[in-house]
Amino acid sequence: MELEQQIREALTKVALIADCTMVETINNNTVLLQSGLDSLGFAMLVAQLEEDLGIDPFSQMQIAVYPRTFGDFISIYRQALAQES
Amino acid sequence: MNLLQRLQQANYQTTAISGDTAYSYAQLIAQALQLRLQYPTLQQQAIALSFSDLHNFVIAILAFDGWCRALYLLPDTSLDLPETVINWPPTEVIPTAKTSSVSTESALASTQTASDWYLATSGTTGTPKWISHSFTSLNRAVKKSAQVAKLRWALCYHPSRFAGLQVLLQSLLSGACLCDCSYGDAQQRIKLMQQQHINAISATPSFWRQLLMTGQLSNLPLQQITLGGEIADQPLLDLLASKFPHARLLHIYASTEAGVGFAVTDKRAGFPASWLTTPHSDIQFKLDQQQHLWLKSPTPPDASLNSRLDSEGYLDTEDLVKRQGDRVVFLGRASGVINVGGNKVHPEQVEQVLLQHPAVLQTRVYAKTSSVLGQLVVADIVVTTDTDNKTLQLQLLQHCRQQLKPYQLPTKFNVVSHLQTNASGKLSRHDSHTPPSDHQQSKTRNEDQHE
Repeated sequence: MELEQQIREALTKVALIADCTMVETINNNTVLLQSGLDSLGFAMLVAQLEEDLGIDPFSQMQIAVYPRTFGDFISIYRQALAQES
Repeated sequence: MNLLQRLQQANYQTTAISGDTAYSYAQLIAQALQLRLQYPTLQQQAIALSFSDLHNFVIAILAFDGWCRALYLLPDTSLDLPETVINWPPTEVIPTAKTSSVSTESALASTQTASDWYLATSGTTGTPKWISHSFTSLNRAVKKSAQVAKLRWALCYHPSRFAGLQVLLQSLLSGACLCDCSYGDAQQRIKLMQQQHINAISATPSFWRQLLMTGQLSNLPLQQITLGGEIADQPLLDLLASKFPHARLLHIYASTEAGVGFAVTDKRAGFPASWLTTPHSDIQFKLDQQQHLWLKSPTPPDASLNSRLDSEGYLDTEDLVKRQGDRVVFLGRASGVINVGGNKVHPEQVEQVLLQHPAVLQTRVYAKTSSVLGQLVVADIVVTTDTDNKTLQLQLLQHCRQQLKPYQLPTKFNVVSHLQTNASGKLSRHDSHTPPSDHQQSKTRNEDQHE
C-alpha cells in the first residue's frame, strides 16, 4: 500500500479512537496542530504507525526534526523508511 | 523573610508581569500592601487560593505569605480541605477595614508568621492529598544573577501546580519578567510567546515536542530551557541543544511530595553517577537493591512521609533508576504509575473502570513507551466469550470516557486469552515489555465492588 494511504488510514482510525474531530480536508499543507488531532491523538498516530510500519522515526530521532504539516510528517516517514532499507 | 519583604528588599525597578497589561514590581508590592490594609481580618487565617489570573494571584501570594497562617493552592480538581479556610478570591463577604485599623507599618512588619504553603499532590496512591511546604523550601532552587534578572519567563502551568509555582517564584525572586502562557494550544501559546519576547521556558518534554512541532520555536531568543515533570530523553535534549547552542539547558527532577529537587545542567539524560558518592545541591543520593532512588535533603519532608524515611533520613522517592556507565538514568515510577505527558495515571484506577464493563473479565493496565508523550496507557483484557471484538474497543472507550480524563484512557486494548497470575514479586508496569504481573485485576477479586 502506498505510504501516504497507510498514514491516512492510521489517522482515520486514531481520530475515531481518540474522539478527535478532524478538519474536512487534510492535504500536505495542513498544519498538524490545527488538523483537529490533539497531542494524545498525535502520540497514538505515531504508536499506530510503529505497529503498521515497524518504525518510529521520533524514538531515536534519526531525523532531527519535528513535523509542522501533514506533508512534513509523510516525508519524515518516507525518509526513515528509506534509511531502514 | 517572607515573599513581600524579599521583594521590598530587592527593590527591582522593572516589569514583573507582562501581558495585556504590564505591572512593575513596585505596583505589585503596593497592591499587596493595600490588600493587607483592606482586609485586616485575614491575618493569621488559613486561605485557599484559586488561580483566576496571574496578576491577582501574585498580589494575593505577596499579601498573604507571612501574613496568613496557611496558604492552600487549590488544584483544578476538587480536594477537601483539612481545616476551615477563607476562599480567595472571596466567595462570601469578608469584613473590610472601616478605618485604618491596620497601619501601614503593621501591614509591613509581619515577620512573626511563617506561613505554611500547601500544594495538592496525587502522590503514590492516586488519592490527592495536601503536602505542606515552607516558603524557604519552595524557593531553595531559585537562582539569582544579573543575567537571570533579564529573563522573560513563560508561565506554562498554573501556579497551583509545583511546576508552575517554581517558575513563578524563580521569576519574581530573581527580578525577571513573567507572562501567563498557561492557556490555549501550542500554536496559540507560541504566538503569545513571540509577542511577549519570551526567552525562558520551563515545560515538560512532551510540551517541548509540541512547541517544536509549531515550527516557530526557533524564532524565540531562548536563553533558558528547562525540562521537567517527565523523564527527559537524550534525543530531545540534543535537538534543543542544537537549536539553541548558547542557551542554558537543564532538566530538573522534582518530587512535590518530598519537596526536593535538583537540576542537571550537562545536557545529558539522567544524572552523573558521581553524585551517588558526592552530594549535589545539598542533596545526598543513594540507590537500593530494588533500584529505587533515595534522597536526603537538608529540610525534612512532610511528616506524612515518615514511613518512607530510613534510619539515616533518606527518603524513598519510589522512582526506579538504573546505573548506566557514568550516568544514573530514570526508568519510571516503581508503583507503575504512568506518566502521560506529565499527567499521572494510576493503572488501578483505569482497571477498576474497565472491570465495570460487562464484557471485561480481567484486565492489566500498563505503560507503553511513547516518543511523543513519554508514555501511553495500554490495557490487556480478557473478555467474555460472546463479545464482538470489532465493536468492543469503541464501547470500552465510551464507557471509560464517562469516568476518566482523556489522558487516562487506554490508547490500545489487547484482547488476550488469559493473564498470568503466578508472578512471584511486584513487577513494574512501566514498560510494555514488562511481563504480566500479579498486578492484574479480575472480577473475581472485585466482584463485591462492581457486581
